[in-house]
Amino acid sequence: MPEGRLDDLAGQPGQQAPGMRSEAQEAADYDERLLLAERKDWEINQAVLQPMFRAGKKFWALVGVLGALVAWGLFAWGYLVYWGIGVSGKNRPVYWTLFITTFVFWIGISHAGTMISAVLRLLKADWRRPITRGAEAMTSFALMMAGLYPLIHLGRVWKFYWMIPYPNNRFMWPNFQSPLMWDLVAISTYLIGSTLYLYLALIPDMAMARDHTQSWRYQLYRALALGWRGTEAEWHKLHRALGIFSVAIIPIFLSVHSIVSWDFAVTIQPRWHSTIFAPYFVVGAIYSGLAALAAILVIVRRGMRLQEFLRAEHFNALGKLVMVAGMAWTYFWFAGFLVEWYGNEPVTRELIHEEIAGPLAPLFYLQMAANLIPIGLLVFRKVRTTPWMLLITALLVNVGMYTERLLIVVGSLQRNDMPFNWGTYRPTWVEISIVVMTFAGFALLYTLFSRIVPYVPVWEIKEGRLRYSLRRIGRLLVPTAAEIE
Amino acid sequence: MPESEKLIGLFEESTKAADAIDALHELGLRGDQVVVMTGVPYPERALGRHAEWLRLPQVVLAGAVAGLVFGLFLAVITPHLYRLDVGGHPTVSFAPSAVITFVFTMLATIVATFLGVLWEMDFPEFGSKYYHHQVTDGRLAVLVEADGGSAAQVRELLEKHGADPVQWAEKVPL
Repeated sequence: MPEGRLDDLAGQPGQQAPGMRSEAQEAADYDERLLLAERKDWEINQAVLQPMFRAGKKFWALVGVLGALVAWGLFAWGYLVYWGIGVSGKNRPVYWTLFITTFVFWIGISHAGTMISAVLRLLKADWRRPITRGAEAMTSFALMMAGLYPLIHLGRVWKFYWMIPYPNNRFMWPNFQSPLMWDLVAISTYLIGSTLYLYLALIPDMAMARDHTQSWRYQLYRALALGWRGTEAEWHKLHRALGIFSVAIIPIFLSVHSIVSWDFAVTIQPRWHSTIFAPYFVVGAIYSGLAALAAILVIVRRGMRLQEFLRAEHFNALGKLVMVAGMAWTYFWFAGFLVEWYGNEPVTRELIHEEIAGPLAPLFYLQMAANLIPIGLLVFRKVRTTPWMLLITALLVNVGMYTERLLIVVGSLQRNDMPFNWGTYRPTWVEISIVVMTFAGFALLYTLFSRIVPYVPVWEIKEGRLRYSLRRIGRLLVPTAAEIE
Repeated sequence: MPESEKLIGLFEESTKAADAIDALHELGLRGDQVVVMTGVPYPERALGRHAEWLRLPQVVLAGAVAGLVFGLFLAVITPHLYRLDVGGHPTVSFAPSAVITFVFTMLATIVATFLGVLWEMDFPEFGSKYYHHQVTDGRLAVLVEADGGSAAQVRELLEKHGADPVQWAEKVPL
């Protein structure tokens, strides 16, 4: 029990009015709250560390399957490198295909980490505490997967270094006026920033793991803890740095998907050339990212038996956030669609017709259904707090958001201002294999991460418990948070 | 055999630890002779330490300025060094330059924050240091440098305020 709570309860010496429930009964109402849970610090340590050490047959089977999918994808990439980009379904005019669709999707997924960790940290939303690390790891791994696509899309991947600015006798220099160059810089910045942010908050838990492990794990955690002892000065400096990070990384996370959207919007391609694209992309990214986080948390909770830390209160709050993001996405989608429809430009009209009543209609209706139905479902608390229901809803959102990106990237490119240059696109086995590779690669990295690093930020939970207590207000016993930061 | 005249006392409760620290100061010990180690971040001044001046904001600001200058260099200067004329476009224009400059400024800001806080904490610092492994299990460790033969007084004071155990501090490999 955190200090202070005993005093609060002891301050009411057994004066129970007739009909009033006992304090124990009232306190039981808040059983679902992690920060009010009756646990000693060492018990929390053990509860987080023990699942990391469990790696049974199922775990290794999962790693094996994911590893095989990654290996197959690498083979497909090698095939593409050897035979050339022609083995993909790329053609004129559909020169951006599944690769760029999936690139945009992964960038979107990466947005939830910062949303949860930085924004909610600044807003002092305490329910974020057990899920921040999972969200931050998701950001880093999603960005790693996204970062592969520009390389794959190049075809001749060994020419990648041409994008790095360094003096050379060929007088080749990156064009910093180009949105493609902005992409490289912005994604690199976000990857570096989110990984450092993840690591910085990890240092105290690395020290905790160091103090409770042996052999190779001890060596690893010792190296990563950097000599942390938990002195007052260290905590103070860490807090200050995390505060600065939280502020600095928010504009970065907003800028990254804005820049990705400008890859599209600065062209004169119909349906891309839109001033609303940047916020539309950002909101869509938050929607898909939060939904992906909810799905991952449900899976990790079950796989690592973290039911004690990932509770109904967290899924409830996360579900509400997903719902709000979904509403915002709907608003932006409609705002863009209405103006394009009203403008009635010939090519845009053709594209809209293709989506609503043409060959793209199945994808369009799938997108709308998969994005809108979850908003309605998430209105219900039962859906938000029942893990399997939330999992299905969250996966549905991501199907919808992937389809949305497919329609934006591939659907729009099939039509342009020169009808003789219209075309269609079908993905090849090479592209599908590479896309599957990144999904498997993400899952593999995340699975290994969850067994090596404390998935739940232990020190943040302990800090939260320090803040929370039950306090009597009138006839009610209510949870209150102390202002201690 | 003690390695030094350093004592470490382990507390269960922060209130008792804070009382003990106050008493140690009353005994004449300076602030730098008492170090508290915890597994949880207690708020500033909760355990007796006063607000500390940090150079981190200055480091971050310097990093941001460096990033701004570097971004400007890449976006505004280098296009003149390596000309790439695109029809209808100026060699350098405001909007694209603003994007690149902004991103490099933010990149340098976060890298400076990270390096700055490591520098402030003197990290990484491997080797043996005074520490107790029960800190991460929820105990509050008060490490006291007792000089002038005051170790007995310090031990008595720590025990009086509820420290259990109180022992000679040992350096452990970290």
